[in-house]
Amino acid sequence: MSDPTIATLLAGALDAYAELEALGEDVEDEWTYVTDLEAAWRERLEAAIAERGDEAATPEMEAAIDRAADEIGRIRDPHRAIDWLSTYPQVVLLAIGERP
Amino acid sequence: MRFQDAARDARAVVYAGIQAEPAVAAAAGLLAEATPAQRVLARAVMNGETTEADGWRVTFPGLFGDGSDPAERDRSEAILAASLAVADRGEQVRSQVRGAIVEALTAVLLARQVGDAAVRRERRILFDGVAAEIHPYDVTVERPGAAEAYDCKWGARGINADVLHQLDDARTHAADEDERLEVALVVFDAARSCAVRLDRQTAPTEGTRLVAIETLDELAGPGR
Repeated sequence: MSDPTIATLLAGALDAYAELEALGEDVEDEWTYVTDLEAAWRERLEAAIAERGDEAATPEMEAAIDRAADEIGRIRDPHRAIDWLSTYPQVVLLAIGERP
Repeated sequence: MRFQDAARDARAVVYAGIQAEPAVAAAAGLLAEATPAQRVLARAVMNGETTEADGWRVTFPGLFGDGSDPAERDRSEAILAASLAVADRGEQVRSQVRGAIVEALTAVLLARQVGDAAVRRERRILFDGVAAEIHPYDVTVERPGAAEAYDCKWGARGINADVLHQLDDARTHAADEDERLEVALVVFDAARSCAVRLDRQTAPTEGTRLVAIETLDELAGPGR
């Protein structure tokens, strides 16, 4: 199996993010905000893939993004999911040395 | 235009107790010195599901990893500890404490620019012939000819029409009295998320400054 790149890490992060969005959508009054927020941060993460996707990921980056995905995977409350729709991408970007 | 202490109703008394907790002031003091990444750490941990420090150290390799600056690592450890103490609280108290921390942080940063005496908390602003708003402003700067009013939010989701209208109404009423009142929203969240939230608002936003987690230090700087 080849060493992970930033693209593979962020692709996994985007999968986890999609699940978080699905949970946040349970708050019907915030549906538009949730989908717009997800789109805005997805665009930012995809821009990072376009710019740095081919770079090799370090073990620290991989562990950080795995740990962040584990954190959001524990969320059951859709309101907390909405909080993390903003926080999670910031954490992921910092993990690869990007400014959110 | 004149400023007045907020009424001490039951909600205010309970919340004043939260605001007065030493942990709130300590966290605000740490966050006033923090880097943007350390502020995101605080946001993540205080929002978090888990309260296990090692897991958070792994999540932020730039702050705790081998290559991180030792002095900054010490501050990151202090911020992590303070944030975990907040995360350990029950959900309702945690939410109140987070809000109080953003307010205290705003006050600390503003005081660096205008001095402690000019910065006030939980104040109402009164205008001639205008019914007073029920909710006080979280932080005000009260100086002749250069007054400011701040509403503070933990997250972008806290931005809503009521808040935007209250800030804009105050600015407008001040102008009607030939007074200058700058109004701003301080949000402990990313500017990108705030922009998404603001895009959906029909309330006026043009005259209200946004201070997001990346730009908090502007509160203390001469460029405010």
